[in-house]
Amino acid sequence: MTSIALRKDTPSAQLEKSQIAFSHVTLDLGGKTIIENVSLDVKPGEFLCIIGASGCGKTTALRLAAGLYQPTSGNVSFDGEPMRAPRRDVAIVFQDYGKALLPWRTAAGNVALALETIGMPKAQRPARIDELLKKVGLPHHAAKYPAEMSGGMQQRLQIARCLAQEPKALLMDEPFGALDAMTRQGLQDEVLSLLDASKATVIFVTHDLEEAIYLGDRVVGLLPHPGRIGIDLKINLPRPRDQLTTRENPEFLRLRRELFDFIKASEA
Amino acid sequence: MNWTLTLWRLASFAVAAGLIALWQLIANLKLASPVFLPGPDRAWAALMRGFSNGTLLEKTIGTLEHMFYGWLVASVVGIALGAMIGSSRAMRSYVAPSLEFLRPLPVSAIIPVAIALFGLTQGMALFVIAFGAIWPMLLATVHGFGAVEPRLYEVARSLHMSRLAVIFKIALPSASPDIISGMRLSLTVSLILAVVCEILAGLDGLGHWVLLSARAFRSPDLFAGVILLGAIGYVTALAMSLVEQRLLRWRTSGH
Amino acid sequence: MRSERLKAAILPMSLLIVLEIWARSVDIHSDALAPPSAVVLALFQAFGDGSILAATRDTLASAFAGLAVGGAIGLFLGIALGIFQPLDRLMEVTIESLRPIPSIALLPIALIALGFGYRMEIVIVAFACVWPILILSRAAVRSIEPRLIEVSRALRLSPGDRISKIIIPAALPRIFLAFRLAAGIALIVAVTVEIAINPIGLGAGIMIAQQALRPDLMLAYLLWIGLIGYALNAGLLAAQQHLFGPAALAGEVR
Repeated sequence: MTSIALRKDTPSAQLEKSQIAFSHVTLDLGGKTIIENVSLDVKPGEFLCIIGASGCGKTTALRLAAGLYQPTSGNVSFDGEPMRAPRRDVAIVFQDYGKALLPWRTAAGNVALALETIGMPKAQRPARIDELLKKVGLPHHAAKYPAEMSGGMQQRLQIARCLAQEPKALLMDEPFGALDAMTRQGLQDEVLSLLDASKATVIFVTHDLEEAIYLGDRVVGLLPHPGRIGIDLKINLPRPRDQLTTRENPEFLRLRRELFDFIKASEA
Repeated sequence: MNWTLTLWRLASFAVAAGLIALWQLIANLKLASPVFLPGPDRAWAALMRGFSNGTLLEKTIGTLEHMFYGWLVASVVGIALGAMIGSSRAMRSYVAPSLEFLRPLPVSAIIPVAIALFGLTQGMALFVIAFGAIWPMLLATVHGFGAVEPRLYEVARSLHMSRLAVIFKIALPSASPDIISGMRLSLTVSLILAVVCEILAGLDGLGHWVLLSARAFRSPDLFAGVILLGAIGYVTALAMSLVEQRLLRWRTSGH
Repeated sequence: MRSERLKAAILPMSLLIVLEIWARSVDIHSDALAPPSAVVLALFQAFGDGSILAATRDTLASAFAGLAVGGAIGLFLGIALGIFQPLDRLMEVTIESLRPIPSIALLPIALIALGFGYRMEIVIVAFACVWPILILSRAAVRSIEPRLIEVSRALRLSPGDRISKIIIPAALPRIFLAFRLAAGIALIVAVTVEIAINPIGLGAGIMIAQQALRPDLMLAYLLWIGLIGYALNAGLLAAQQHLFGPAALAGEVR
């Protein structure tokens, strides 16, 4: 028993145990191969970013991890169990926040949806809703409907609903893709600090190379037609990250160059 | 801004008053036979008389009851059936085409069948009104369930929501704009069919009242009845749009 | 595509078969139900003696005459109110207080003024058809691209030319939609008037069949009325799509 407890803390043991694992995953949709023979291990607490040219299957890979798609061959597992359907402890942040929120519920109501389904007693919900909305920076907007909120606020709200699931893993599909640059940078930092507190594993799909490097512990680049892994980079930048100093770090610039060349080569 | 609107509104009332005055003039000059065109003064007097002795109030309540019960049955059955059909893809492809085929059927044609089944009774009226009023709601519910944003179903799947929770928390609210407009349309249909059933079956209500008044050439009473039927149509539509505004607040509220 | 059609046919087909078998096996003597085969037979007989054709002619003639009269009034008012905002505002109270009157409530008035027959039916159908066409053509005129109106000003078109060359053609797809919806209403109202009181047409035919305790003939009429309703709707829908393309259906109001 002690040896197991001990092994947990050693780095070599962590290498063996992964939270989300793809092993030789292939997916055909409508007669076309979208993803081909992808193997990928994501460790608990790791922040993995997936990048790639359009049509490389990044979003499809995320949906496989979510259990929304089932692989044609190979398998996807979570904590060692095969992923046959979506799990409540794996939350998904969709890019199109406007479609993923319930327009007929207020901000508080949207967060409540997750609390209702996890079966939290009614009396405990208001406090938890307040706490979650405060966490994502929407403490004064509980009574607003999504239609009354800006895009950035709606995306924060979707993140709050996902956090309400108390997920072990958070899957984010280009969550900031539709937002302007200023809002996007603010949200990047907020996501980093939120995750620092929750320790959830993250798979983050983006087409923005700098965003991937800035956020991730690791960046995986996919090659298109069909989607395959083309590059897998460890990001050794110090945390906490900072919009100015991190982005000026020579290592950041080197990684950006490497990924840029990768994308350019993959599109050729 | 508000001022000009109020002024226009007042002017619009003045135009309506002018037209009523014109009606009075035509009646006074006997340009149309007073047998079927009473002046507004006589129609108004008949309306007041009918209310003071309670007859018209009773008839109004009769019509409202016929209309409302039929509409209520149609709403409950229509929405439940629509949810059942709409929430399953298989049901949609097996049942929806049959419904679409029946949609353009002039619903009043079911009246003789209902008479053959139930006789000239309240039950017949209830059946006819409910049958006629069910279509807009049924089709709106099926359509609304079919048009739910697929992303919301994915949210529901990732939250592991039960089938019942998906229906009540996702599909029904999402389809509610369609359902409510169906309910509004059904309300109009209910009123028309209530009048027709009253005329045919002699059931106590304004439809029967206007017919009797016409047969006895009591045109002021007849017009009083028609005015009341118009008022019922107006008030119920108004009530429905108030309910709609309240329930669909999330939809209209923008920046 | 073919399998979808097959699926669509399964429910009505199996219902008919079950009804036929059930009716045959218990040998029903009902005033309301008849085996489907007897209904079809009654329909053919009614065609044979010409009674259902005459009734169809009467109903459709009243419905279309009412649609023409009501449509013309509704279109005229709709375009006028759409073009002249002040007029629209002035007529608002009058229109909003006449519109909710259920058309069928006018039946007794029309009856004592005009007696039984085509004329009273046409008047009631016309009243029912005015409103949808007025409302939709008014909206159609208002939603015309303002640039087109500017063009007509720049070309110095006379008011008559402006209406006939710019406004009506631009609003035509939605006006046609209004007519399609009103045609359905016209048929419904015509049949309803006939069932309620007027002794002509399909509505009277189905009532007579009911009173004569001929459920087969009554259901044959019901089937035929349903087919006419379906054909009218399908025909106008096809015409709308053919004339204005699928885009014309986008602004559908239900």
